Amino acid sequence: MYSIIRPNAWVALKLPSGNTKVLQVTPNTTISLGKYGSFPTNLILGRPYHVTFELQDKRPDENFSRLRIVPADELYAEVFAEEAAADCVTPAASSGGGGNGGDTVISAAGGDEFSLVDDKGNVVARSDREVLDESARQTLTQDEIEELKREGSNAGKDVIAKLLLSHTALDQKTSFSLAKYKLLKTKKYIRRFQVLPLDVATFAQWQLDERDASKILDMRAEMMGLVGCWANVHFGGEDVFLPDPNASPDQGPQACQPVDEKLLRGRWLVVDDTCGLLVAAMAERMGVLHEQEDSGAEEENKGPSQQLPVVTKAEIQAETPAPAPVPSQKDGDTEMTDAPGEPAPQPSDAEPKPKKPRPSDFMIPYSQTNTITVLHSSSQPNLSFLSYWGFDIASPNHPPHPLLNHLLTLSWLQLVKPELDSSYSTPPPTASPETLASWKPSRRGNFHRKRRRFARTRYIVDSTRAGGFSGLVCASTMDPISIMRHTLPLLAGGAPVAIYSPTIEPLATLADCFSVPRRTAWVGGGAPEIEGLSNEELERWQGNERFPLNPTLLQGVSIQTSRARRWQVLPGRTHPLMTERGGAEGYVFTAWRAKPAEGKVAAKGKFKRRKVETVGRVEEATPGVETPASG
Amino acid sequence: MNSKPEVTISPFLDPGPRTKAHSLAILQLSRDNLLPVYLQPPTGEHDGYAEGAVVNTRYGSFPHSTMLNVPWGSQIRASKVDTGSRGRKRKRDGADDTSREATAAASEKESEGPGAVAVATPTKENGGAPSVKQAVADSSGFIHILPPTPELWTTSLPHRTQVVYTPDYSYILHRIRARPGSTLIEAGAGSGSFSHAAVRAVYNGYPSAGQRKGKVFSFEYHEERYHKMKQEISDHGLDGLIHLTHRDVYNGGFLVDGRSPQADAIFLDLPAPWEALPHLSRRRPPPSLWPSGAPPPGLDDPTKEWISPLHPRKTVHLCTFSPCIEQVTRTVSAMRRLGWVDIDMVEIANRRLHASRDRVGLNLVNFDRGVNNSAKDVEEAVTRLAEIEARFREHAAKARSRAAGAAAAAAGDVDMDSDDENAGEAAANGNAPRPTAEEEEEIKITTNRLPPWMEGRLITRGEPEIKTHTSYLVFAVLPMEWTEEDEAKAAAKYPVGQEQKVIGTIDKAIRKQERREQLQKQQPGSKKARRKERDEKLGEVLG
Repeated sequence: MYSIIRPNAWVALKLPSGNTKVLQVTPNTTISLGKYGSFPTNLILGRPYHVTFELQDKRPDENFSRLRIVPADELYAEVFAEEAAADCVTPAASSGGGGNGGDTVISAAGGDEFSLVDDKGNVVARSDREVLDESARQTLTQDEIEELKREGSNAGKDVIAKLLLSHTALDQKTSFSLAKYKLLKTKKYIRRFQVLPLDVATFAQWQLDERDASKILDMRAEMMGLVGCWANVHFGGEDVFLPDPNASPDQGPQACQPVDEKLLRGRWLVVDDTCGLLVAAMAERMGVLHEQEDSGAEEENKGPSQQLPVVTKAEIQAETPAPAPVPSQKDGDTEMTDAPGEPAPQPSDAEPKPKKPRPSDFMIPYSQTNTITVLHSSSQPNLSFLSYWGFDIASPNHPPHPLLNHLLTLSWLQLVKPELDSSYSTPPPTASPETLASWKPSRRGNFHRKRRRFARTRYIVDSTRAGGFSGLVCASTMDPISIMRHTLPLLAGGAPVAIYSPTIEPLATLADCFSVPRRTAWVGGGAPEIEGLSNEELERWQGNERFPLNPTLLQGVSIQTSRARRWQVLPGRTHPLMTERGGAEGYVFTAWRAKPAEGKVAAKGKFKRRKVETVGRVEEATPGVETPASG
Repeated sequence: MNSKPEVTISPFLDPGPRTKAHSLAILQLSRDNLLPVYLQPPTGEHDGYAEGAVVNTRYGSFPHSTMLNVPWGSQIRASKVDTGSRGRKRKRDGADDTSREATAAASEKESEGPGAVAVATPTKENGGAPSVKQAVADSSGFIHILPPTPELWTTSLPHRTQVVYTPDYSYILHRIRARPGSTLIEAGAGSGSFSHAAVRAVYNGYPSAGQRKGKVFSFEYHEERYHKMKQEISDHGLDGLIHLTHRDVYNGGFLVDGRSPQADAIFLDLPAPWEALPHLSRRRPPPSLWPSGAPPPGLDDPTKEWISPLHPRKTVHLCTFSPCIEQVTRTVSAMRRLGWVDIDMVEIANRRLHASRDRVGLNLVNFDRGVNNSAKDVEEAVTRLAEIEARFREHAAKARSRAAGAAAAAAGDVDMDSDDENAGEAAANGNAPRPTAEEEEEIKITTNRLPPWMEGRLITRGEPEIKTHTSYLVFAVLPMEWTEEDEAKAAAKYPVGQEQKVIGTIDKAIRKQERREQLQKQQPGSKKARRKERDEKLGEVLG
């Protein structure tokens, strides 16, 4: 993430109404904020995020609104005035301290008196709380308001002030209702907005509040935090790439680089039915969602840039690491390394680039560490939301993106029955170099594409089936028991499992598969069908009605939910918000993968001579202990 | 920081596939009973145990040798360990061992002062040939051995202060955008639960010399806690990732060795965050904004350059953690005056739920605890009542026939009545009916049909006690500073006046107009349109 708004970045515009507008800031366009007005996009490019902009009145010689950054003092002028009023007695004295922004502010004096103060500290209108007239009415007509808006002076503040002053019953409102009235009008007319970077938290909030919450399974921020933490998702180690097998085109599958389980580290298994939000959240936690931020910030610092708006492919390419380490052999490489350093106006495009040695078809572009493996139920994964972070899984010639080397996808069929999947089981085409040279370029391209696809599919399937994952994260509409049946054997010992579900029932059913009675029965011989099976076979136990899963494979099974309650904090008016989002509550199932000991395990408890009767109780009170005595 | 050539990665960040000696492991005794242990290689007799270091729990004794070099998550059987004749008196009984183990089990010598900390110090007394007794499996119980994570550590760590628990820190780290590569300031290290979670969030590799990587700058003013925490950081292999400073940040601020940590995320778990907030300014705050009305000593020289601990070119996200609403009010007020925006206060309510079977029914066997032997529905109640009624009638008829058979006295009627009542009462109390052979058969059938662990309705219920309030979380954002000069530069880079189209909210008329233009533009050029045209022409010709 950058701290500067860059051209063509996806951003969220926060409007005074509380609504968010998500768009891509294309240079040389005009951004329209609806009733709040519009402004040229270039006025926010290169400016920082999170500051509050205000649309200024159009200058007589210009046909667009310029922007002004509103200092924080001005944003809080009213609150300061209120605070000051609470401290001092005379309202006139108080407004001098707070309202230095040159604004019309409202201050509550002494708690029960209310006054509208202009920028010189004079009281314009005043109220006490004696009368509360329900029929209080606005004397300005809608046409007059529209007229005021068209004049659009002073970023809407004039409209608001006039509205307040034209209110016949303003002097009869209590301070609370007046503050509310002012807030309402401010939300409607003030022409201010904020630009936020579109990171996962902002995006999810927008999707939840203003878009289709069901698309992300109603996953709130609290839940995303919990899932990420309980699944222990974090940066999984520096990138490690397999060496290029340098397979010639006449070599078949035997030339593929075999999966080396020792190199595989920091890999997480994901089942995502939130259109990619979960994957994005994990990628953000693993540092592979956004492009390197430091380089971006520093690049901005480096003096005046020569080039004008239309940027940026070259810049982006310069910042992201190359998809694969290429063994540098030729001295031409030195030129290459120089090129990104100084973004010279237009040279390298015109000259023929020194050719990199092209990796062979069987080169595996994926890192061995710090990866996300997505299991999907259709033939293609639905990760459409990743496009907000510049990643498109379907694009064949993708510009550099950190996810390219760290996101692996495979279908359930490829995991469970790879032999039935044609892209895995069809051997790659082979051809001698001479035949290959005789082909048309399009045919040759096709040939290489097929071989590359084969090598990648083979690698993804084989490495996934090799197991040893550091964790399982899941937010799916599928039955969690069936997911666990096929993913539990793939987890490394001690690996955490975190499953999100909008409703509790699927998780309760899953937790019941690991209930103490069921575990006790399993250990105590309640399942005659498992007699004589080895540990290896028990890990891959396919389940039956009585034991849908091997109940000894998970430890510390727990279900939880969290809810953030938001508060309004204002002087004398601090309380929880009156309404919050309802709908699906959202639950998280957590546990750790256990490696049961071979053979029968007894747990009689530790007998103490003194208190014999307590032993039985202790044993019963501990869900972790299995008592074969009952079997 | 001193960067070693060979850095061992913390078990929190990459535990590897198997348990290792001198490394932290979490023993799971039962679901919520976790015990942190630094595993030690067996090097001869230890603390009186022939097996080397031993963990004693109420599920038996577990020599470290049985827990070394096993895959993480392994189930470990208890071993037969002679705990009675260790040549010295046991100081505590078994129940206390759990708490003792975390801190003192590793100390080889008897001299356990208050400062004795569990460091992996291998004993070298026996030279290269350790004579360690082989552990023998016992049937008293088992445990699981788990790799340390911030979550496990949070539930098992030795408490020194109030702990920031997972529901809170997971949300906080999400909101303050702590990501790989971030620099995070934490004040009030406390027990270290947040530090461990934070370092996991910002970790993107150990920094080599001169390199800037994700890092946590932690501050603690309590000396004893500082030393304990310092020890923990190095025991957990987090040197170089967490920089701990012993300081009172209200007066001392957040600079490290006089230099700025350049933080972009901040977490303040302090009793008075407003005292620390002025230090977290980009520019020297005016004297009126210091809580005492004047800057603390050392910062009161206006001629000296103000060094901000914040990253100069990044937005900074902040969270404070205060239990009382009065603290929040003051903090928020200070934040507003110091220019923080997007101030938002929330509290997190977390609930844990337990799934179990609600087993209600007259014919359920008492397989596990918690069977409620009352009728599960009206039908079962009616059937049972009808049965009782039938038996009662049978009994009455018998009695009546007995009475008729006796035919001795007319006054016997009264006795008979009372007899009936007794029988009725007994039946109603449910004492009378013993399961008949038939019923036993029925029970057998039902159990054959459904195993007892699948009987009853699946229910979820909360824990017996819930945390209703931990603390109020106040979030705020401090945007980058933007000067006239910056603005001029940006304005030169992105000049206005060449706007071509409107994005964002577009009204209908504009959208239609755009559509029309787009179509017009497309038609002559686009392949599809041309093909369509051609096809149409062909159709005309052929038709």
